[in-house]
Amino acid sequence: MKRSQKTSLFAALFAALFLTVVLAAAVGAVAIPAGVTLRIILSQLGMPWIETGDIGRNTEAIVWSLRLPRVLLGLLIGASLALAGSTFQGLLRNPLADPFTIGVSSGAATGATIAIFLNRLSGLHFPHMIPLFAFTGALMAIFFVYNLAKIGGQIPVATLLLAGVVVSSFLSAVISLLMVFAGENMQGIFFWLSGGLMMRSWTEIGFVMPYLLLGFCLLFAYARELNILLLGEEAALHLGVRVDFTKKLLLVTASLLTAAAVSVSGMIGFVGLIIPHAVRMLSGPDHRVLLPASALVGGIFMVWADVAARTVMAPQEIPVGIITAFIGAPFFIYLLRKKKKEIRL
Amino acid sequence: MKIAVQNLSFTYAEHKVLTEISLTVESGNFFGIIGPNGSGKTTLLKLLSRVLRPESGLVKLGERALDSYSQNDLAKVMAVVVQDTFAGYLFSVEEIVMMGRTPYLGRFQAETLQDYALVRQALELTGCLELRQRKIAELSGGERQRVMIARALAQQPKVLILDEPTAHLDIGYQQEILDLVKRLCLTEGLTVVTVLHDLNLAAYYCNELVLLEQGRIAAAGSPADVLTAENIARVYKTAVLISPHPLLGTPTVALLPSKRASLPQQKKSRIHLLAGGGSAGELMRDLREAGYILSVGVLNVGDSDWEAARSLNLPLVAEAPFSAITAEQHTQNLRLIQQANVVVLAEIPIGHGNLLNLRAALTALAEGKAVYLLEENVKQQRDFTQGEGQELLAEIKQGGAVIITEKARLYRALAETL
Repeated sequence: MKRSQKTSLFAALFAALFLTVVLAAAVGAVAIPAGVTLRIILSQLGMPWIETGDIGRNTEAIVWSLRLPRVLLGLLIGASLALAGSTFQGLLRNPLADPFTIGVSSGAATGATIAIFLNRLSGLHFPHMIPLFAFTGALMAIFFVYNLAKIGGQIPVATLLLAGVVVSSFLSAVISLLMVFAGENMQGIFFWLSGGLMMRSWTEIGFVMPYLLLGFCLLFAYARELNILLLGEEAALHLGVRVDFTKKLLLVTASLLTAAAVSVSGMIGFVGLIIPHAVRMLSGPDHRVLLPASALVGGIFMVWADVAARTVMAPQEIPVGIITAFIGAPFFIYLLRKKKKEIRL
Repeated sequence: MKIAVQNLSFTYAEHKVLTEISLTVESGNFFGIIGPNGSGKTTLLKLLSRVLRPESGLVKLGERALDSYSQNDLAKVMAVVVQDTFAGYLFSVEEIVMMGRTPYLGRFQAETLQDYALVRQALELTGCLELRQRKIAELSGGERQRVMIARALAQQPKVLILDEPTAHLDIGYQQEILDLVKRLCLTEGLTVVTVLHDLNLAAYYCNELVLLEQGRIAAAGSPADVLTAENIARVYKTAVLISPHPLLGTPTVALLPSKRASLPQQKKSRIHLLAGGGSAGELMRDLREAGYILSVGVLNVGDSDWEAARSLNLPLVAEAPFSAITAEQHTQNLRLIQQANVVVLAEIPIGHGNLLNLRAALTALAEGKAVYLLEENVKQQRDFTQGEGQELLAEIKQGGAVIITEKARLYRALAETL
């Protein structure tokens, strides 16, 4: 991709990001003009010369305390899942890899469920308990799936999906079992599991931010290695890449991003699968472009999926995972049916 | 950069793949590793490029142990072209070659103008400049192989390691790739180590060879030292004909396809062949395979029949190149005829220099030996003596020689009489 193309791609994406934030905060049960949301955001960001005298306290609260955290969280979750998906696809050299299909999301969900379960049951609690449990679960899942799917150093599409299905099904059973044990507390777990951004506030953003920032930085730092690993592990070795270390670091990082996302928003599928493919069509295979572009597109996609989730059947909210599945599943089928040659990385 | 290997051993799944390998590749050499399938060639290459670590023994690259290099430093001195298992299909040729600059770039450092210049140079050297915007997926096998070599060159290596760079390529590309590597070896002082399956290519391009057999060195040295009929028969279990390349003089290896199924194994009778001018190569091979004890005469040194007889280790009478048969060699020839049960006169081109071979046939007839006269291509002019040869042939026929119009008939006739 030429430098000028890159510049215009990112200019367009940042413009879309800006519009998304302003517009998504305007849409909802109470319609608020986009101009008003923009002014509220800007004044809150420390631009006191912006006139907000005519805006009511309630409107300001709806935009700043309810909608904006949700929009930002959507951006972060979408970006994390898309980044994790791009990384898994590149690293496993497998176009159908994403946190959901390879069981990492299930692993994180199981870990998080165990954390919630222990908390309800014994009152056990320590800071960041849910994300840490989710992270552990995600790592265990990727470890199992990776070793199950590996045939002679390669990870074929079919075995990867099979291993993902096996591990995911097992983990769903574990979660169901825990929900049975949890009894009357089951409602909370179920609500969280089905995947959504309801009732999320600035607290949750502060909560997952450190994990996501760490993950983003590590992945962007290793974008060149991801490119080279696409050529095969041996070729990467000959180009000076410390393959074993890099592979482990990237797998752990992508699992960390998934776990952080799952621990605040539950299981949201398909974002990590479809976004990298869609972006690759625009950006080409270079991870130095693909990763940031996927993060932006993933975030924007997630925000609009969430807007749909809270408006389509208003005042009833649909879990956002249902929206992403409705869009993602047909795309997944399309990818599966495309000739193997055409879904190249 | 020199590579020294001392007592290298490697075991894979309790199977000893390499045993006590020691060799030295001098700086600037084009070094070939040959051997049958499963002899450990690729394993040796992987040990040299540190994809595998030896179980015992030492590899030295330059003055330092191979183990002491960081992965990045190693990539600056050694580039490896593995067999075409290319992914990364959506990358352009230029992007792929730029990856060769990775060892020189810091984590967040962008490519400099110098990197672009070096990539361009590598693309030019490999003839890939026009391909630079194309995607890897759109290239042919030969083009991809060139791109991989370009990427290796972008690493500015001192040592280039290749694993069968010509596998699956047609001969045009085989030559193109190896010519390119040879040129780099000569002009840039690159040390090249390559596994080659094709023994002829190994002979043309390498100046040193090592022949592996079941993980051990069976032979090492110049192509002429290593590629002998004996070595190949021993290691590959195949009889071959080794002769000098008509232009280069390097050994060429020709297979001797077996016809054993159609020829019964015979008792040890002696046959003397009167041959020359490339008329009897197939005869020698077939008759020897059939179990006869052969001798040949009189051949000129350098003649292709002489090459064939020599590589089959047949007793022969040889005359100086392009010289008429002297009385001395004629006598020798007659001596061999006396020891033989049967004489076969091959369809030799007749000139003033080898009329004595025809006279030898007459002598044989006079002594009561059976003489078979092969005439498969009667229409082809083979008498270059203004009739003298024809007269002698007529005499031979009158003298009772059996005229044979087809080799198969000869074999049948011999089988019946001997």
